[in-house]
Formats: sequence, C-alpha cells, structure tokens
Amino acid sequence: MKLKPLNPAILFLIMLGIGLQTTFVKSVWLNCIVSLLSILYIIIFRRVKLKTIFIVILVTLPLAFGSWWSFMLFGTTDKWHIAWIYGTRVYAYLLIGSALTLTVSVKQLLFNLAGHLKLSETFVFGLLAAFNLLPRVRQQFKRIQYSAQMRGITYRPWQPGLYLRIIIIALNWSGDLAEAMTSQGFSEGYQRTALQTQRLPKWQWGLTILLLLLYTYCGFILKPW
Amino acid sequence: MTTTLTVKNLTFAYTDNQPPVLENINFKLALNTFNLLVGPSGCGKSTFFKLLAGLYPEYGGKITAGDILLNDVSVNNIVPFERAKYLAMLFQNPSRQFAMRTVEEQITFALENIQLDRSKIKQRVAWVLSELHLENFTKRELLTLSGGEQQRVALATILALDSQIILLDEPFANVDPVARKQLLHDLKKLQLKHHKTIFITDHDFSNYTGLVDNLYKIENKQLTKGSTKILDKIIFSKQTQQNFGSLHNLTWNNLSLSIHDKILLQPNTLYLPKGQVGLLSGANGVGKSTFFGALTHQTTYEGDIFYQQKLSTKYKRKAWAQIIGLVFQNSTDQFVRLTIAEELNLSKKHSLHPEYWTDSRINDAYQLLNLTNLSKQHIVYQLSGGQQRKLQVLSMLIMAQPVLLLDEPLASLDSTSLNNVLQLIIEVTQALQLSTLIISHQLVEVRPQIDYELEITDKTLHLRRTTNET
Repeated sequence: MKLKPLNPAILFLIMLGIGLQTTFVKSVWLNCIVSLLSILYIIIFRRVKLKTIFIVILVTLPLAFGSWWSFMLFGTTDKWHIAWIYGTRVYAYLLIGSALTLTVSVKQLLFNLAGHLKLSETFVFGLLAAFNLLPRVRQQFKRIQYSAQMRGITYRPWQPGLYLRIIIIALNWSGDLAEAMTSQGFSEGYQRTALQTQRLPKWQWGLTILLLLLYTYCGFILKPW
Repeated sequence: MTTTLTVKNLTFAYTDNQPPVLENINFKLALNTFNLLVGPSGCGKSTFFKLLAGLYPEYGGKITAGDILLNDVSVNNIVPFERAKYLAMLFQNPSRQFAMRTVEEQITFALENIQLDRSKIKQRVAWVLSELHLENFTKRELLTLSGGEQQRVALATILALDSQIILLDEPFANVDPVARKQLLHDLKKLQLKHHKTIFITDHDFSNYTGLVDNLYKIENKQLTKGSTKILDKIIFSKQTQQNFGSLHNLTWNNLSLSIHDKILLQPNTLYLPKGQVGLLSGANGVGKSTFFGALTHQTTYEGDIFYQQKLSTKYKRKAWAQIIGLVFQNSTDQFVRLTIAEELNLSKKHSLHPEYWTDSRINDAYQLLNLTNLSKQHIVYQLSGGQQRKLQVLSMLIMAQPVLLLDEPLASLDSTSLNNVLQLIIEVTQALQLSTLIISHQLVEVRPQIDYELEITDKTLHLRRTTNET
C-alpha cells in the first residue's frame, strides 16, 4: 500500500498546535520525538532533494549550539537540563515547520487552507501573486541600487529612501495586477469555481485532535525529562 | 446575445481640483469590428480604455458627468465576473497581468472567476491554447516568457473568458515586429472567426493596412472619428548606413551570455564607438536587454569588459555606474525622486557635464519634449507612459555618462515625441562625444537617423549586413 501525505491544511494545524505548545513545554525527550517524527515525515513525503534536508539540519547546528552554550554559561539552576531543552527546541521548531514547507507547495497549502479552513480567496491569490513575483524582487533591488548610483546617490540599508522606492514599485506592481485580475473577472466576495484541493478524510481530523491532546498530556502532565 | 457598449456625455478627471482628462465624450462601439485609437502620448487613451473596462473610477479618478453603458447598464455597477464575459482588457505591461505561475494555471484562474464548471475548465484551456498555437507553452512559467509570448498568453486568457469585446492598451509596446505581426494576425482571426470586437490603442501604424474598420483619435480631451487612410501609407524601412567609428573607450572581449543554461550570445569581441548613436536590433527574447544587463553588471556574463583598457571588474560598482548610464525599459525603475523638478535637479547637481547642461539648455530640452504644460511639482509616478519616458531619457541625458545605453526609449511615444527624443539623444551624443546604443523596435523612424546598427541573430552580435527589408 502506498502511503499518502496528510492534507496540507491538517499539516498546518498540527504544526501550529504543537509549535505553540512547544514554547511552554520543558522536555528534551518531547523535543527529540517531535524532531524525529518530523524528519521521518519529511523524508517520506519530501519535494526537495535529501541533500537540502541535510543542509537545513547542518545550517541550524550553530544556532542550536549557541542556544545550548549560552544556557551552559549563564544558567544558574539546573543548567544542563535547561541548556538541552533550548538546544533541542530549536530543532523541534525547525523540523516541524519544515515538515510543512518541504513537503507542500505554497499553492497547495493556500488552496487547501481556503478550501477546508475558509481562508479568504482574495488573500490566497494576493499571496500567491506575491510569491510568484519573488524572483523578480531580487532583480528589482539591483536595479534600484544602480538607478541611484547612476545619479550619484548610494543607498545604504538604513536609508528610508531605499524602502520608499521599493514600496512605490510594489504599489505600482500590485495596482497593475489588481486591475488585470479584475479585468479577468476576479470579484471580491463572490463565488468562484471551487478550488482544486486535496481530499480531507475525517480520520485526519481525528489524528490531529489525538496528536495535539497526546502532546498536551505528555508535555504538561507527564513532563518527561 | 448582442453586446452594446455606449459612452454618453462622459467627463472624467483624476482629482476634483484638476481639469478633466476627457470631456463630454460620446461614443458607441460597433460590434464585430476592428478599431484603432490613436493620439499623442498623455492624451488619455489608457484612461479611456480603463473607463470602458470599468476599472476607473474603481481604481482612481472620478466621472464628473455622463456614463458608460454596457448592455444599457452602467459598467461600474456590473460585478467583474459578469463584466468579463462581455469585455476584457489586455495591458501595456505584459508581465504584470498574471496572478499565477504557469500558463495553464493562469487561464484556469480566469475560468474559475467566471465560475465555469471544473469539468469544462481543462477542455477550454486546451482549446484556447490550440487556437493561438500555444500548446507547447501549457506548463511554462510565465516569468520566463518574452514580452510577445506573455501578450499572447494574456490574449488566450481573454479568449478563454469568451469576452465579446477585447480592449488592448498598447499591447505591442515591448513586442518585436515579428511577434507584433503574429498578434495582429491572431486578433483579426478572432474578429472574423469568433466575431469578437477588437479595440486597440497604438502609436505605431505599421501592419494595420487592411485590418482596421474604424479609426478614432483623442485630441484636446475629445474623441473623434478619423480616416483609416493614414494607415495605408506603406513605409519601407530604410537601411542604416553603416558608419561605424573607430574611436572608443568601451570594449569587450569574448563576451558571452546565457540564461538558465540556454546560450543567448556566443563569445563576441567589439567596442562602442565614441560620438555616435547605434541601434541594437534583433527579435524579442534574443538577449538585447540581457546584453545591456551584462554591460551594467546587472546580470552575469562570461568574458571581459574594459573601459579605457581597464577591466570593468576593477572598477567599484559606484564608479561603474558613473561610466555606463542605462535608461531602463520600465520608466518607473529610473526615478529616484518624487517630482519632475526634484528629478531634474538631481541630475543637474550630479551631471558629468555641468558646463554643457546650463539652465537654458535644460529648459530648451524640456520644451522640445513638450513637457511644459505640466506642473514641475507633478508626481513622476502619475505621469502618462509617454511623459514618463521623456522625463526618464532627459534626466539620463543630463547625467551624460560617457557610455549611454537606452532600452526602448522610444516605446509608447507618438511620432512627434519620438522624433524629438531621438533628435535630443543624437544632439547630446555628438556634443559630448558619448557612446550611445539604443534598443528600439521603431526601425522605420530610427534607422535613417543613426550611425550604425548592431544586430543579434543566431546567437551572434554583428554589424548588420545590407539586405533589403520592408
């Protein structure tokens, strides 16, 4: 039997539910379990190369180590435990987030949030357009710098003039795009053909509730080390 | 089902305290015809189209009198998805009309807007793509397409919506002559075969002979009907006299370009002559803008570029920007300040030839470009496309970098403006001994006036050989 991925909307809820609780749960074991399960899920359902996952984990190492080290240095009571909690927490956050971002495309996620969790479609298409324009933004940034240097001005990152230009250009782009979308019939607040979403069987809702309750029970009542 | 589009006593202004842009216009669009709207830049052509499409006043401005009726209902009172079934618009800036990432997704998006049944969407997408011979583009990413290809996809989107009336606001501004002919051919086919009503604004009259049923003009805020006879003049595109100078500062050695592993330009060695204006020609997507990108260090390239025998990478970025001036394809990319006055003053302050650009000379140029009827406190982003273009070119001419690259400085200009801008470019180039290179598709007007023509064909850059072409 072929394993099927969870619906992106469900995955989003699980990530949010567990991620929020992780902030308050003080358990190295739970952080490790969340990280391991997330890695497993990513490896099975990934849309990226294994190498990317490896790099993500590697790049985070200094951050986790830094967090661990600062508690070792400056912690007062129970510093070994606290240091390991914060060190592993960085990975728990990262990997549960990656379980969503490395397995689902932005479009799939937004469409499913709109289809199953009633996210507004105006918001969905606005965001999608923004994501689709991202490759252009970098090019545009270079252009803004060059246009200023040609006229004898150099923008520094702390100068408001730079951001003013970016904002003006973004407004121009979004204005043009909004007009085009209107002309193509996009009407705010009106029915459209239902978006193409993935199936969301009832058992996935059950799984979400079960996982979140289990995490709450372990994190706040059992409290493993 | 017949569609009617009628304009009654329409007066429109951008703000309450400004004079109107259009005044007391009466107009009825004849169905199943091919129509062309002409007029000098800034006269209100785009404004008129956006009003017809119901985008104004929703996105700006105010109708101070009169109304626009689509099937006897005020066009502004019709919900966009209903409106799209009768009328849709194709915009000047090809890349800014897509919400989605791929061609297929984009057309699907439009069809979802008009609530077409999911089961019919796939079929309809396949049908329009085959009608416009875009089958190979189905899965392509929109941002990787050339301007002409993007406009054809936008047209496919409108055809999918099955809009009766198709408005096209300078759809060819960034499109090369071959793609332009193809698009015009597609449009005529839509009129004859699918009974669409076509309405285009354009500055360039070439290739319209025999296509246009009605010609309209906007002059002095009024819409009038003109004679289509002005389109019949057949103009032969003259040959450039190749007079490639030998004095130069900017040279390149084995310069080659590629984009996404696709080779655009084979290794090439040449220079830009001093005190001359050259034309860089070639079909859309051959890499003309990318070539400018390489010379300005905006995009990656292989090979070496030299200025006064010194390797370009040895110059700091800031210094390089003072050597190579670039007039961007999008005017708004150029502007650094908010008003016309600030823009010109900035250039004057940092000009590399302050002795040449005296106040009176700047004023003369300003007058030549016919910008004097504008308040100098006008916000640059609110100028019309043509006015922005002229201001943009002027502010870079005042800067007067020794090498000046202009990417489509003549697009969306009416013929008087076009000649004046070109005249100014030539004058300044000769006076200050600049090395100037222009990308333009207005070959008929440009060729007779310039010194040499470089062409990119078959991935090579070379001086254009003399073959006759119409």
